Amino acid sequence: MMIERTLIFMIFLVGFWAIIANKHIIKKIFGLNIINAAVVLLFILEGSRIGTQAPLLDMQVTNIVDPIPQALMLTAIVISVCVSALALALSVRLFKATGSFDIDVIQERLSHEQ
Amino acid sequence: MKKSNLFSSCKVLVTFFLIAFTLAPILLSSHPWPNEGRDYLFENASNETGASNSVSAIYLGYRAMDTLGETLVLLVSITGTMTILVGLVKKEKSDSPNTFLLTRDKRKSNQLRTHLLEVVSGKLGPIVLLFGFYVMLYGHISPGGGFQGGVILASGIVFLALGNQSEKETKLNNPIVLARIEGFSFLALILASTSGMLMGKGFFGNPLSHISANFIILLNIIIGLKVGTSIASMCIAMMGRSHDD
Repeated sequence: MMIERTLIFMIFLVGFWAIIANKHIIKKIFGLNIINAAVVLLFILEGSRIGTQAPLLDMQVTNIVDPIPQALMLTAIVISVCVSALALALSVRLFKATGSFDIDVIQERLSHEQ
Repeated sequence: MKKSNLFSSCKVLVTFFLIAFTLAPILLSSHPWPNEGRDYLFENASNETGASNSVSAIYLGYRAMDTLGETLVLLVSITGTMTILVGLVKKEKSDSPNTFLLTRDKRKSNQLRTHLLEVVSGKLGPIVLLFGFYVMLYGHISPGGGFQGGVILASGIVFLALGNQSEKETKLNNPIVLARIEGFSFLALILASTSGMLMGKGFFGNPLSHISANFIILLNIIIGLKVGTSIASMCIAMMGRSHDD
């Protein structure tokens, strides 16, 4: 169990590193997606600790995993799709306005325009 | 210049280690997971909602309001994205007609959309669509459901749009048709959620009987169509065609 948690922690940190260390907007949005994937994996892992079988209630199933985190993560995935779509559209808009995806260049050019 | 670079990378490193030390106890510690909810659902979910997939039973039975809110979030985000993208597409159309959906000889660069991509995605599209409908319709008894099936439907539509080797517009990559299906399915979701109120079952109550999977199948189909057409129309708008053309 500790190995999985450490791996999820590392995935989270990779996403966080992508957000804070990159200047490229698209890479920052990818970082957001990676963080979201880490959180989804963490919840699924937590829910799977009290059972072994998929939560499909047939006759033979006895020891199911907790379905509540899975239902919550369904929401989280859809929200993640919405957030990344909106962020990508906004970054394309910034590219059309300034001609660059680099946040420093964008800031410089927008401050020159004013 | 060099000094400020060093300073900013130091800031990044400090932030990184701070967040690592803050999150490590949360992510790495393991508390016993409560199993009351699991036990209750294991005993009652199939009898109370009619769906043997207990994830479907949660998001369309016990917490159907949550699904309505989620659909609204999707609608708002699609509206925002389309508003931003449509303005861009219109502005670009006047000076250079260069979208991803044009035929091969009319595009400026052919690097991203190759013959291989066109052939493979065009042949794969109908199969992916069929699989999406399967996941959508069998969501109450097997892994799957409206959201998952809808996303697979959307990828099937995107495959067909990418594999379309002529410039002819089909019904499936026509943004007007997709937008109409999306609006109609949202209306159907509102009607289905209020239909239980006429029979005295409350909001999102099953109007016909208390224990039946039919209502969950209906909601799965509606949500699948809604999610599929929303995401497909957004992807097609990102490829350069919107419903204002």
